[in-house]
Amino acid sequence: MPAWLPYVLRRLASSVVILLLLTLITFLAFAKTPSQPASFLIDVRYATPAQVEHARHVLGVDRPIWVQYGRFVWRAVHGDFGRSFRQNRGGFTVTSSTGTPVAGEVLRAGAVTGGIALGGAVLLFLLSVPLGMLAAAKPRSVVDRAAAGVSMLGISTHPLVVALLLQLFLASKWHLVPQSGYCYLLPKATSASVYDPAASCSGPAHWASHLLIPWVVFALFFVALYSRMIRARMLEVLGEPYIRTARAKGAPQRRVLVRHALPNTVLPILTMLAMDIGTAVGICVYIEAVFRLPGLGYTTLQSMGGAGLDLPMLVGITIFTGTVIVVLNLLVDLAAVAIDPTIRTSPRSRSRLLSFAGGTSQA
Amino acid sequence: MSSGELEAGRRIPVPAQETRVEADSPWRIAWRRLRRDRVAVASGVFLVLLVLAVFPGAKLASVALGHGPDDLYPYAVGTYTLKPDGPWTWVPDTHALSPESTDTQIAPAPKGTPDTLLVLGADGPLGHDLFLRLLYGGQVSLEVGVGATIIALLIGVTLGVLAGWLGGLVDGALARLTDLVMALPILLILLMLGTGIGDGLRRFTFWGLFHDGVVQLMLLIGAFTWYYPARIARSQMLTLRNREFVEAARMVGARGSSIVRRHLLPHLAPALVVYGTIMVATALMLEVGVTFLGAGIQLPTASWGTLLGQQWGSALNPTVTTPDNFQPWPTIAPSAAIFLTVVALNQLGEGLREAFDPAGVR
Repeated sequence: MPAWLPYVLRRLASSVVILLLLTLITFLAFAKTPSQPASFLIDVRYATPAQVEHARHVLGVDRPIWVQYGRFVWRAVHGDFGRSFRQNRGGFTVTSSTGTPVAGEVLRAGAVTGGIALGGAVLLFLLSVPLGMLAAAKPRSVVDRAAAGVSMLGISTHPLVVALLLQLFLASKWHLVPQSGYCYLLPKATSASVYDPAASCSGPAHWASHLLIPWVVFALFFVALYSRMIRARMLEVLGEPYIRTARAKGAPQRRVLVRHALPNTVLPILTMLAMDIGTAVGICVYIEAVFRLPGLGYTTLQSMGGAGLDLPMLVGITIFTGTVIVVLNLLVDLAAVAIDPTIRTSPRSRSRLLSFAGGTSQA
Repeated sequence: MSSGELEAGRRIPVPAQETRVEADSPWRIAWRRLRRDRVAVASGVFLVLLVLAVFPGAKLASVALGHGPDDLYPYAVGTYTLKPDGPWTWVPDTHALSPESTDTQIAPAPKGTPDTLLVLGADGPLGHDLFLRLLYGGQVSLEVGVGATIIALLIGVTLGVLAGWLGGLVDGALARLTDLVMALPILLILLMLGTGIGDGLRRFTFWGLFHDGVVQLMLLIGAFTWYYPARIARSQMLTLRNREFVEAARMVGARGSSIVRRHLLPHLAPALVVYGTIMVATALMLEVGVTFLGAGIQLPTASWGTLLGQQWGSALNPTVTTPDNFQPWPTIAPSAAIFLTVVALNQLGEGLREAFDPAGVR
């Protein structure tokens, strides 16, 4: 048995507990919400009580919430996440739910959110690495001070504000990019999904044009933190003896920065990315809402508004998001150990901007 | 050695008769340093002015203008385009369309209707006064920010102090709980719980002290942001509990609870003041986000979150912006308010942190 296996198993076990709790919260919130799930199936204004009762039975919401939760867990363990409450066809005599299977719907939405986050992360990397390096190359210079000032403003800006203002001016006023909506990267044959407002266009060009502002919003939110972090880490690295050796050999500044110092700043960035996945999900919710992109956040909003709470979809999204966060965190932790066996404690530096706590030096 | 003597370049006054030297308290030193930090002072002044403008000022402005934040002005939006009027417009002071209006034809307001001033124009297709709603909305947003922070600090400090002081099993349990809450996608949880909680809690206002929905958001945001203060309190407890002064207190027979209260909690206060300031900004941003997404404050109550979404619509009921109804002010005004407030809170927190830093030189 390899040495890291018990660690991984322990982490996975605790994440299963987290997922169970998360889904339980979703079920309890559903049970406490005054909603009529039967209205997904039939028009409750005209239906007889017997028909309503039948509809509730078809959806499985006639049992006590604990039984529902137990049944859900049992099915989920067997790989079945149920069907959406939202029906593909309605009527008074529906004998079984015709909702779209949750698993496929969640994966599709996850791909959309993944596209936003990945593209945003690439842009973030392209922005923050040069910015951090420039600032670290000449600390306290004009560039450094300007970067610090911009970072302070960036940290204090609500992503919704950035998204709305960019949409308002770039899209609505100057028509540089589409106002909202989504196009799939790959052409789709048929899309019968009710969650799918964007089946009309596809292809890389359309896809990218719809995601351009979302990527910018995503990157702008994180760029302040990351460029400052890279700067702090880089300053630390530049003080190490091997950098002096490199300079003594006559390596030019550019080579010292890019070839010698940069690789050693990658690890903390990696760890930080993993810690920020939860935040990134939140940012994507804002972005998807503003630009109406059918990702996880927008699907959540859809599953909560309108007819009522679409419990299977909400639970499916919760599980998917939770699993992705847990697995990515675990992978990054393992990768960090693999890269650097003498792992340091906290990758977040304590620079002026970043230290939100500031309390640890009080003693 | 008193901390006062450590201050570089500061002359210690030597009284003629008495030779006793008063030690400056850490709070006094911090206050002196803070006053020298121009950015922090400017932020503090801005925040004081904001509170004055938002709490007594909103009412005054409402009286001066002669209308309230929830009044509807159908003539303040474009007749067919629903484009809200821009800043500094006088609109007919009537809350209903003229009775001569038909389904297809909107008649002008009856002659003789007095005009009323919308300082920043209308806030969206509904035609509220944007300026008044900005002020009244500031009340709601600031209340949520401060209230949620206080709740989070109460929960966090209690748990953190218990864990740090008792250690062992309690500490382990808290560590697990913190990991759990940190792993949650907070925004999604807040959305679900915000929609899930019924009208009962939304309507609970502490007998009219707060607006509808404020208490609910305070509780929700506080319940999911306590982990950071908890960690600060715990780590402080761990470093302090084996220090000599604690040992001394124990030697003279002080009980555990009184050591925590009298000797340890005062050490926590600076860190909590600093973190609390920044947390108000975080909670305010969460209020804006959750409300914008439809799970927080509900219309007609004004908040900076509802204002931000007024012109934009809602995720499921979008208002499509066309050249005909393009009006940037309803978006720019709340954006600026949120931005300035958060910058001021963050900068003040940063200034406080440096002022309290014992290693600081300023």
